[in-house]
Amino acid sequence: MAIIEVVNVDKIYNDSDVKVVALSGINLMIEQGEFTAIVGPSGSGKTTLLNLLGGLDTPTNGKIRVGDVWLNEMKGSKLIDFRLRNIGFVFQSYNLIPVLTAGENVELIMQLQGVPAMQRKQVAAEMLSKVGLADRVSSRPAKLSGGQQQRVAVARALASRPKFILADEPTANLDGKSAESLLQIMEHLNRTEGVTFIFSTHDQRVVSRARRVILLEDGKIKSDFAQ
Amino acid sequence: MLVSLSWRNIWRNQTRSMVVVFAIALGLWGGVTSMSLINGWVKQRMNDSIRNEISHIQIHNPQFLQNEEVDKTLNVDSITSLLDTLSGVSAYSARLKIFSMAQTDRANSGLIVLGVNPVSERALSGIPEKIIYGGFLEGAFKIPSIVIGKKAAEELKLVNYEITDSIIKRLERNDEGLASALSELAGKSYRSRPALIRDLQATLKPSLFDRWADAIADSCAGYRLNTPVVLTFQTPTGEMHSAMFRVRGVYRTSNTAFDARVAYVNLNDLVPVSGLDPGQVHEVAVICSDIRKVPSVAKSIASKFSHLKIRPWDEVSPEIALYSALGDFMGMIYVVIILFALAFGIINTMMMSVLERFREFGMLMAIGMNRVRVFTMIMLESVFLTFTGGVVGVLLSTTFVMIFSHTGIDFGMWAEGFEAIGYSSVVYPHITFANYVQITFLVIVTGMLASLWPARRALKLNPMQALRIE
Repeated sequence: MAIIEVVNVDKIYNDSDVKVVALSGINLMIEQGEFTAIVGPSGSGKTTLLNLLGGLDTPTNGKIRVGDVWLNEMKGSKLIDFRLRNIGFVFQSYNLIPVLTAGENVELIMQLQGVPAMQRKQVAAEMLSKVGLADRVSSRPAKLSGGQQQRVAVARALASRPKFILADEPTANLDGKSAESLLQIMEHLNRTEGVTFIFSTHDQRVVSRARRVILLEDGKIKSDFAQ
Repeated sequence: MLVSLSWRNIWRNQTRSMVVVFAIALGLWGGVTSMSLINGWVKQRMNDSIRNEISHIQIHNPQFLQNEEVDKTLNVDSITSLLDTLSGVSAYSARLKIFSMAQTDRANSGLIVLGVNPVSERALSGIPEKIIYGGFLEGAFKIPSIVIGKKAAEELKLVNYEITDSIIKRLERNDEGLASALSELAGKSYRSRPALIRDLQATLKPSLFDRWADAIADSCAGYRLNTPVVLTFQTPTGEMHSAMFRVRGVYRTSNTAFDARVAYVNLNDLVPVSGLDPGQVHEVAVICSDIRKVPSVAKSIASKFSHLKIRPWDEVSPEIALYSALGDFMGMIYVVIILFALAFGIINTMMMSVLERFREFGMLMAIGMNRVRVFTMIMLESVFLTFTGGVVGVLLSTTFVMIFSHTGIDFGMWAEGFEAIGYSSVVYPHITFANYVQITFLVIVTGMLASLWPARRALKLNPMQALRIE
């Protein structure tokens, strides 16, 4: 069974009196272990779709299933808790907490999950090691490069053992070398550990590595192909 | 980690946080200082009042309290034999209390004359230690002794102002010009302070007069000891009787009104002229070893002497008990007002801190931090910020109180006003552990209340929109 199922989803924003159709008639299935890129020009609805898949926004019409759960059946703290235990996020601008070390940033999500302190430290070290930052556990974000910060963000997302990771333009703020390094790590995690990644991106490097590309235009899926 | 995160969050902008911390610290220092000064005054007034004026317990014939008639006495022997055996009694003094008109060669004034045993009175009362001129009632004299208050001495014109050579020499050390200007007044004697001041004004240059007039007047004041004072009072038979005493001492307490009206004579000197039998007194004053024992001692005395009026200190002087209760309350009101003002600064800081981190809150909510945790984090930040300021403030205050509770703070320039209402111009700040606990509680509550609005703003965030904020 697909881990994500999107059924006839529309998303319409009412901006004053103007209706803006961000997504229209989206149907989608994403399987465990996919490495999928959602691409399209600005305003095509990539981020909106990612927000809907992450439970950060609700569709105007249609419904979305993650695992066994239909997201439209959950609200408030139940939905927040669902995100905490099932969905990993990587943001364009890293969004690490500046006063916490890399290790603590990774630990934070596990603490929210109620993981005991010893286990948290162990897992945080392990996750940072997976993204090549074993020696930067005690470094604060300000002491890390953009690429390293984004790798910490990936480690943080991995630490919660999510069903899938949503990455919104993860390479947009990175130089070529850092972007390449990050993509290698994510691809490696996908191939060796079966971590499901769903990207929204403009970056051709991401597109070229993705095994499935969903092209959005004007809020509709224009093409959906494996490569 | 939430606690650690909150603590680290408040130091993201160190300058801003330190400004709030110091504002709270200084505010609290001001509040605690006000409270400690009020407490110090109240404590001093209460102690002075009990020690010098009303004692812990007073025993009277109930009829004496109604009209203070001289024949409404009580038998001292039966009472003292009980007091000698009662645990908790530290000292007692049996007194005759007669209302009289006092007359000197220059003036007259009404006085309450207490006939006391000097040894018992010294054990009970602080008055013998408050003698500023002469001595208490010790020593045998052909003409009996009277000790009066400073204010009464002034009213009876027992103060002389004389500019002696030794005073001029002493003043010369401070200002050479002053000594030469004063030399023409040397040897002159004045009956009143205003008369001396008038002459000083006429003699000294305005700058010297403004600077030195009060100091010269204080230096020149001398009491005319051994001056006869004739006391006229009513005997039990209703006749007026007069007796002569000589002023052998002048005392000064922090209560000018008390100094103006109460005089002390030896009980043995007063009994023969009062028309009362030996063994009859009007009042027995008792001091207990501890103020907390007063109710039980009063109860024990009352159980043996149900026909007498036994009054503990707070019944004799309810206003003192009231001040004592009000002292803490007033101090706490000061602290609350200061914290209320500071709350706006804390709200401002917390609001800025929250607005700056909207994106971060959005991320935290997106990854799964629920609203209760976000709320708790902001509350903790505010409490930490306020508590840090509170700790610094309490340390400042404690240092202040510790230093000045030994040395005292002299409000000498307002001494006359303070003493007119029974308060010393030198105050020893005093604060209790309970006060600190109350203040700490108030600081934490202020921190929590001040963070409610900023926390509410954060809670209303939509994580998706917050993440878009650049």
